[in-house]
Amino acid sequence: MVAPGALRVVRCGGSALCGARAVFSADCKQVGRGAGAAAYLLCASGDFVKVYSVSTEETLRLMGGHADLVTGIQLNPHNHMQLYSSSLDGTIKLWDFMDGIPIKTFTVGSKLLALYTLASAEDSVFVVIPKKGERDTYQLVSVKLTKGAGQDLESKELSVVLDGVGASMKHIAFGRQGAYVVSVKNVTLQVYFFKRKLLNRFSLSTLKTKGGDNRFSCVACHPAEDCIATGHADGKIRLWRNFHHKKEYTYSTLHWHHDIVMDLAFSLEGTRLLSGGVESVLVQWHNESSCQKDFLPRLGSPIEYISMSSDGALCCTLHTDNRISIINSNLRFSRSIQGLIKSRDVKTGLVVDPRTKALVLNGEPGHLQFYSLQNDQQLFSLDIVQRQYIHEAGLKQSDLVKVAFSAQGTWLATVEESEEVTDPELQLKLWFYHEEAQSFVLNTRINTPHDNHITDMCFRDMDGLGDDSLILVTTGRDCVFKVWVMVEDSDPEAQQSVSWSCDFVGSYHNYQATNCCFSEDGSLLAVSFEETVTVWDSLTWDLKCTFCHPPGNIRKICFGRLTCSKYLIGATDYGFLCCWNLLTCALEWSAHLNVVVLQPDPVSEHIAAVSWLSKESSLFVFKPNEPRPIYIQRNLCKEKILLAAFVPRDEPEMISSEKYLWLRKSQLFFLTDTQELMTLSTKSLEERLTPSSKQLAVEESLPVTPFSLLLGKHRRQQAQEDIDLGKPVVHNKQEQASPAVKELLHTPAHVLPSASFLCTIFINSLLISKENKSAEEVADEVEMESEKAEDDSDEEDVTAMEQEDTSHMELLGEMTCKLSKSQEKELRKIRKMDYSWISAF
Amino acid sequence: MGEFEVHRVRFFGLVPAGVRCLACHPRGARLALARTDGAVEVYNFAANYFQEKVIPGHEARAVESLCWAAGDRLFGAGLSGDITEYDLSGLRAARGVDGGGGPIWSMVANGSGTQLAIGCEDGSVKIFQVIPGGIQFERNLDRRKGRVLCLSWQPSGTHIVAGSIDFFRVINVASGQTVQRIMVNHQVEKAKRECVVWAIALLSSGTVVSADSFGRVQFWDWEQGTLAESHTISTSAALSLAVSEREDSIIVGTSTGATYQLQLLPVKLGGLEKRWVRTKPFQFHSHDVRAVAHSPSALISGGLDAQLVIRPLMEKVQKKGYDAVLRKFTFPHRRLVSCARKARLLLFQFSQYLELWRLGSTEETGKDGEVLPLCRMPEHLVQLKSKGPEHIYCSCVSPCGTWVGYSTASRFQLYRVRCDGDGVSLRKV
Repeated sequence: MVAPGALRVVRCGGSALCGARAVFSADCKQVGRGAGAAAYLLCASGDFVKVYSVSTEETLRLMGGHADLVTGIQLNPHNHMQLYSSSLDGTIKLWDFMDGIPIKTFTVGSKLLALYTLASAEDSVFVVIPKKGERDTYQLVSVKLTKGAGQDLESKELSVVLDGVGASMKHIAFGRQGAYVVSVKNVTLQVYFFKRKLLNRFSLSTLKTKGGDNRFSCVACHPAEDCIATGHADGKIRLWRNFHHKKEYTYSTLHWHHDIVMDLAFSLEGTRLLSGGVESVLVQWHNESSCQKDFLPRLGSPIEYISMSSDGALCCTLHTDNRISIINSNLRFSRSIQGLIKSRDVKTGLVVDPRTKALVLNGEPGHLQFYSLQNDQQLFSLDIVQRQYIHEAGLKQSDLVKVAFSAQGTWLATVEESEEVTDPELQLKLWFYHEEAQSFVLNTRINTPHDNHITDMCFRDMDGLGDDSLILVTTGRDCVFKVWVMVEDSDPEAQQSVSWSCDFVGSYHNYQATNCCFSEDGSLLAVSFEETVTVWDSLTWDLKCTFCHPPGNIRKICFGRLTCSKYLIGATDYGFLCCWNLLTCALEWSAHLNVVVLQPDPVSEHIAAVSWLSKESSLFVFKPNEPRPIYIQRNLCKEKILLAAFVPRDEPEMISSEKYLWLRKSQLFFLTDTQELMTLSTKSLEERLTPSSKQLAVEESLPVTPFSLLLGKHRRQQAQEDIDLGKPVVHNKQEQASPAVKELLHTPAHVLPSASFLCTIFINSLLISKENKSAEEVADEVEMESEKAEDDSDEEDVTAMEQEDTSHMELLGEMTCKLSKSQEKELRKIRKMDYSWISAF
Repeated sequence: MGEFEVHRVRFFGLVPAGVRCLACHPRGARLALARTDGAVEVYNFAANYFQEKVIPGHEARAVESLCWAAGDRLFGAGLSGDITEYDLSGLRAARGVDGGGGPIWSMVANGSGTQLAIGCEDGSVKIFQVIPGGIQFERNLDRRKGRVLCLSWQPSGTHIVAGSIDFFRVINVASGQTVQRIMVNHQVEKAKRECVVWAIALLSSGTVVSADSFGRVQFWDWEQGTLAESHTISTSAALSLAVSEREDSIIVGTSTGATYQLQLLPVKLGGLEKRWVRTKPFQFHSHDVRAVAHSPSALISGGLDAQLVIRPLMEKVQKKGYDAVLRKFTFPHRRLVSCARKARLLLFQFSQYLELWRLGSTEETGKDGEVLPLCRMPEHLVQLKSKGPEHIYCSCVSPCGTWVGYSTASRFQLYRVRCDGDGVSLRKV
């Protein structure tokens, strides 16, 4: 347990899902699922094991407890409700993943690199451990899991099965019913037959003839026959047979992939073989024939792992950018689970979307991802570059490098450039948030806004004033900064009323402009030119004053906020953090600190600086008006922190300790060089995990019908409403819609009117009305709806209807109680109408 | 070291003839090969795959099929409609017997080598008895419409399977009746194209293996008339097929130049259930592989690109050595070029004519590896056409360049060459 009040660094997303193959839970009819449907997808994610719902794509549970990377997860073959997981911290844990409870912890001692289980092995599992005394040599050992009463057990009873195996879990596979085990490394294939205690070793030639590369990359075993499939670095797949003979072994070759085969998986009966690689195409081979194959292309990013569910109905692919795709047995894409997408390089920095409070950064190539911090999901991905991405080494791609939001999030500015150094092909795009489409729409595209790379970009943030005050400043390596303003479009034919154009170009001694920043009230603009910071009046564009702290170029600048708005903070390359007073135009204080990240909190005067010194990142939080930091945390994490962002909290958190008051209004997030997202939390682990377990309980209690799924979603979203008020537009509508849905579900099916009649009401309830329809009207419609249903069946059902009404009102709470009078009027009308309709019969 | 002038002779336009069929001696010691120009060659496996015998071609004789029978006797049959026995000691075609059914597409010998069966254009299958000093017509089997493209005799000798276009049939040798007729193209939907059964084999277990123009190798149970397995090995036609003696391995040649091996492998370790699995592909040829053979330790293939490839099976070779090396016979083994040293003349031998060339010369000298400019271009002096349908067997030019001789299977001719200035004259001696 962590002592109360201590600040912990918590991983909250983006950690590599690619630690191990994902595992589908076995079919669990007792949960009320349809027969044979795998309900959960279990996935190793950093130090955690994540449980996803296959049907709703949601993260249901995060099982933490390992102290290092989780390297393997396998279902307990004797109890499908349990899961084994292995980790680099040297322990194997047995989990009840339905409840997220660790049942047992077996301490093995050395690093565990992969985990395998066998149904035939009674009480032992197989792990890959490094060989003692030799570097980069690994062995496969079987671990006898001791039976004991306690939770923490020691399992030191190891017996070596194979020596000299590969470190990746893809390099070992167990054959049909555990009769043999196969390991591949470099160009050697080893097969060990357990019963006959026979070890066969086969080697391919190391020569790289005709562009071939025989090194093994992965291995899979046929579930019913003696057949081994191996993937190779040159894209070939070999199918080995007759491998119990030293000499008379034989193999056939399948070749479609043009680059390394990343993973292979056999279908349940072994008639189909799935393979995937960097092409992001899933290939399905039938009957081991090279002529019959099917493809599932455009999966988005290279495939890292492929796993099959135990009933063979689903398979899932893990991608290198942390996406999970679930694919039907007929090779149709079903759904994808995506958290923080890992991009090649986060050039945009961490930006917070003011509208959704989502974190915005580079996603898949050329896209901007909006990542919801609350539920670790990607909200959406905005295609900025709008070009087909072609995977090929050495090809120059266009990518997104800068992004900025206006204060309300109505405008989004993006900069994209191609990778070529000499001619970057710059494009500045301005996007307007379209309320009805609920998305950003391209407003203006400016080709070559600067003659060289754009280094920084910011909007003038002014909440109070209207759109007139909105200006955008870009700084470029072509030694100028440019000011862009909105102008009314004079052309009546034009589809939009405003567009952006350049208003002012400023420069300073022909130095390269590196950073820009507006003061809080928008009256001053600070632009750094190499070693100098210049301050400009934003009304007249006059140069007010300059600051300089040689030696070293300015790396970051920002203005102080609120009470500290008279200060300007700058960090230089030579490890100085300077604070200038704008009133006296003098240096207030400076500190020797190698700052890599300088991030002001938008809602308070605090500024966070992250330094990188002798391979550790340290966090300093300070107020500009005093040189002494409020908070220091040394050795924040092992990885280098590249980016940070303050995300305002929806409601201020109750923080007991004086020391952490700076975390009250907003939360600080970091992105490390391995693209893991971290945050600082004062809560203990247990507190953080409670909401997700509730969700699991809700899901279990529901019978599975399409309606219940729908209902489940609504309920969850309502539940989230309590936590998250960030997306008012979408949620309000759905709240109104839910009575309609509930009414539909509560009425017995045999008294419901025809579906065509219900359809319009149902769809209307889901639509986002243009002018905000009052809640009363919607509720009335629902009432009508239920009325009809009752009346169609019987006339004497008035009392029943009353009951229905009250129950309904209970559900709706206060809102509908007020409406009851007007409703009754409506009801009476309808009743009359309906009677006449029935008498017509 | 002395200095040498190296001539790069790029004017010998020899077009080698493609390999049409192969026949492995039942005991695996010899391999007979027929080329598209009618030449027959015999290779001796024991003597390092030495080309032992060559019987030159004949204009009127196109060999479609070869087989060994009655010990070491070699028979060939072709589109001329004749069955020819080759005199391997005299290196000539010895006796010919008319098959009596039009062009012969295929010929097989039975297990003991006492009988030959031929498949003819008119759809008949005829049995010939091999007697000392020749062959004798024995009887006709059931005749059906459609040319018989391939034949296979069951090792036990009771049945013959005959492949035609779109179907194959199984014939009982004793009664001469067709006992089963199987359509091979019924599985291909709306097949407008005809499906040619290019090669067929009848295994002792009663399985019929067929290779067809859709690139499929199919395994049939002929008694039930059912398809047991189908392997689509290629998008182009499968042209040839050979089964190993132990019937656990099959080699298939396709029209893309690739050959494939199929092996009968146990599905599970220690289990009895076995299945044919396509294992190794080989791409040695650039054109159609018209002929394949399966020796106990090697896969042999010959194609229209005139190459003969012997690929040893590593698992069958006991030790690493000369036998374990892949062999390609690309160049002719006989001497086709003769040189008149003093007169600087070259004589090239083609199948039907000879060409006499004078080498170019230079007056300059240079260092090692330098290309010297020619002051006199090589000159085509004379082309000498042989008479008659027989192909030239060997030829020679005398060192002084005045005598040219060649021989065919039946004749020897000697010519005197006289060069006077630009004119060249030939006189038959």
